[in-house]
Amino acid sequence: MKYLALVIAIVCFAIAILYLFGVISWFAADPTHKHHVGHFALFLVLGVLALIWLRFAWRAP
Amino acid sequence: MQNVHAVTFVQAILLALLQGVSELFPVSSLGHTILVPALFHWSVNRRDPTFLAFIVVLHLGTALALVIFYRREWIALARALIASVVRGRMSGARDERIAWLLVVGTIPVGILGVFLESAVRNLFGSAAFASLFLMINALIMFAGEFLRRRQHEARGKQYKHLEAMTWTQSIAVGFAQSLALLPGISRSGASIVAGLAIDLDHEDAAHYSFLLATPVIGAAALLEIPRLWAPGTHVIALQAVIGCLVAGIAAYASVAFLTRYFQRNDLRPFGWYCLAFGALCLYLFYKGAIA
Repeated sequence: MKYLALVIAIVCFAIAILYLFGVISWFAADPTHKHHVGHFALFLVLGVLALIWLRFAWRAP
Repeated sequence: MQNVHAVTFVQAILLALLQGVSELFPVSSLGHTILVPALFHWSVNRRDPTFLAFIVVLHLGTALALVIFYRREWIALARALIASVVRGRMSGARDERIAWLLVVGTIPVGILGVFLESAVRNLFGSAAFASLFLMINALIMFAGEFLRRRQHEARGKQYKHLEAMTWTQSIAVGFAQSLALLPGISRSGASIVAGLAIDLDHEDAAHYSFLLATPVIGAAALLEIPRLWAPGTHVIALQAVIGCLVAGIAAYASVAFLTRYFQRNDLRPFGWYCLAFGALCLYLFYKGAIA
């Protein structure tokens, strides 16, 4: 579980950065826009939640 | 001149009242914000930056009203959530459990909302679809109440407490809430029906629905805040301030009323309203009375 949480966190942060700089624009309302803030915020939050999951998994007996 | 007349004062107050009330009553705010302007033949351009900024402000007012109404509970939930993260372990306390259920339940609507909202609105954002989905919303509520009565007949009135919900059930309620991306399907209606399906009573189902709605409405409004600085939006600044206040007051009054209402009553009256209003709007649409 620890490693799964870590991998998910890294993937989410990577996708968040790609959306922020407009490298990817999957499912974006306006694909021509330079930044996709909504998608960035979503993956940032999911990344943070995955880190919290990692912390819980790490402290589990 | 288009921007100057994006929203008049009367329209601003009526739209704010409509948003504040219909966001929390299980009657679909999105459906009503499509159908009511169409019924009154308001020449509101729904893609106009000033109108979009105005809608953002209404949502902010609604989210603030929800936060204020449940302020003590939100403070307790936030404290429990932060404490569990710092501790790195769940303690099993009620507030902590509910806080994490809300986090888990918000994930489906967050993902589906960000990815699909624009496409769904473009596909179904017409008065005909809003009317049709409003009638489907009624059927969802009737079906929820029918299944609830059958549950009672089969095994008596056995209710689950909020904190007894499982993670899977919380995700299921979150997915039900995502149906509200369709204009005409109510966020609170769908999530209350999902709550009933997992054995919550009406009061707890509505309570959980309102708590679950707060971060979604708030986050959606916060993400759209840059629209407030779009060129030309200053012309509706006063309408926006009044709209925010009216939407907030209407939302506060609505949640205060509904929390009492669901102590003894069910969803059927809202179902009849949605069925009648949806059928009327669909009829008027086919007669060409609304566009």
